Amino acid sequence: MLKAVSDAPTLAAEISNASFAWPGGRGVDDVSLQIAPGQIVTLLGPNGAGKSTVLKLLSGEINPDRGSVQIRGRPHSPDVRRGIGLVLQEPSTDDLMTLEETLTLHGRLFGLRGAPLRERSAALLDALQIGDRAADRCETLSGGLRRRLDLARALLHEPELLLLDEPTLALDPDSSAAIWSALRERAADGAAIVVCSNDTSEAESNADRVVIINRGSIQAEGRPSQLTANLRRDALELEWHDASDTDIAALQAWNEIGSLLRSDHGLHLTVDSAVETVPRLFQQYGARISGIRIRESSLRDAWFQIVGVAISDAISDEEDAS
Amino acid sequence: MSGTLLAAWALLARDLRAVVRSRSQLYSSLLMPLMLLAVLGTGVSSGLAPTSPRIIDGDYTSYLAPGMIAMTALFSSTFSSAGLYRDRESGLLRALLASPHGPPTIMFGKALAAILIGTVQALLVLVLAVVIPGIDLAWQFGWLGGAATVVAAVLLLNLMLSGLSLLLAVRIKTMQGFHLIMNLALFPLFFLSGAFFPLDQVPAWLEIIGYINPLTYAVDLLHYASYADAPDGLIGPLIDTLVLGVLAVGMFVIGLRRAPRAV
Repeated sequence: MLKAVSDAPTLAAEISNASFAWPGGRGVDDVSLQIAPGQIVTLLGPNGAGKSTVLKLLSGEINPDRGSVQIRGRPHSPDVRRGIGLVLQEPSTDDLMTLEETLTLHGRLFGLRGAPLRERSAALLDALQIGDRAADRCETLSGGLRRRLDLARALLHEPELLLLDEPTLALDPDSSAAIWSALRERAADGAAIVVCSNDTSEAESNADRVVIINRGSIQAEGRPSQLTANLRRDALELEWHDASDTDIAALQAWNEIGSLLRSDHGLHLTVDSAVETVPRLFQQYGARISGIRIRESSLRDAWFQIVGVAISDAISDEEDAS
Repeated sequence: MSGTLLAAWALLARDLRAVVRSRSQLYSSLLMPLMLLAVLGTGVSSGLAPTSPRIIDGDYTSYLAPGMIAMTALFSSTFSSAGLYRDRESGLLRALLASPHGPPTIMFGKALAAILIGTVQALLVLVLAVVIPGIDLAWQFGWLGGAATVVAAVLLLNLMLSGLSLLLAVRIKTMQGFHLIMNLALFPLFFLSGAFFPLDQVPAWLEIIGYINPLTYAVDLLHYASYADAPDGLIGPLIDTLVLGVLAVGMFVIGLRRAPRAV
């Protein structure tokens, strides 16, 4: 397992050997995580992997059954919660309230009032490009605009620790870009940002550090470049449903193939050069391969290599299970 | 203002705004008692000609008026508390609970809103009852003393009901279940509170249930303050206030101490 942060002077948050079990049996087991100020950390995993449980441990919504959680060196308390901003997986807006009123309510809950609250609300709505909708009711907002409002709400009190559960899920590119821009700006101001996601490309582009979680435990963590460092250059996804163990053993003997795993659709390989490997593959097994996708290796392949299944297959498995 | 009060005030303002914007709740809470006064009151007065000495001059509409004030408080207060489900479904409750304030502050803000909404709507029914010709309220201790007693009764009733509703809303998972339980509990209690018929002329078993019923003391206080021309046949303001006060404060405190589930 890679370890990116080990001895930061002041940690924004630290989870030490924490375990938590939900009544249904899922949760996290013996999770340890350190988050430094100014860092964007993505918790990457399929639904049900334990990402949201980690987020809830960090937000103080749940307490670990074992282990501990500390925010800036202190256990959870109302005072500590003042320094945390939370964006939930689903929009959390009241349809009958306007955007302005939504921010006023949350600002007051965090002790803001008067002109500073109004000015901060207006600035945030403008920064997230929804300033012109300030007086509109939330019921008139699209999903993407609601997410921006959720983020404005979470940023309003300038939290030192910002926790976001899949903030850009199913959003249009403009909304995603606006949200990531605001997050990077906040991180540049020194806030620690923890984002749950199952989008490997988004994690690769935006995270300073990626924590791969599957089935309630941390499988690996590090900078995206660290996690992808050992991958071969190209990734191949072969639609080859009747690949036998003998076929796989034969392919594993090819020097140009790095990792080779079965996926729901066939085989997943990382190779030195798709240009050289693909003709050879088709020469030998072409009649049995019904389709192929070629791309540059990425965090998606690192996930595959580390966890042993494709993240998309893991998502399908979890959805089937639920 | 302390942080807790400021937070409770912000939540109160937000719930009040929601009621004003959700006009169907406002209209239905006023139209229902008016309809009952017009239809049931007139129908019973003329069709059944009640002869109970507690129904002055057989005017059932006027007898019904204090009960309608209690009914308005009952339904608007519980309806407001059901807003907890709307907040839970929208995810807003989880966001509120993630604030520095604990669940009691969040529940306190919501309870204040429920109490205020229930009280204002109940008092609106009182005002309508005063101005509608054909409803004769008797202010045996003057209208000022009577009105103050009505306000106190309505406030205590709403305090008790908001505590009870929050307690149930925290424990019952769905809004449908909440309304079902509230209707199952509240309708019998309301029917046996003296709002629709005097309890002193019903069979003993019904009378006993009536006197166990907390709503009886609210309706009695309302009758005492705004309808009866003499204290005869009533429980009396001292016992009414004492019973209602103890139950109201107790239920409210219990309701606030229950932490709501965020999801």
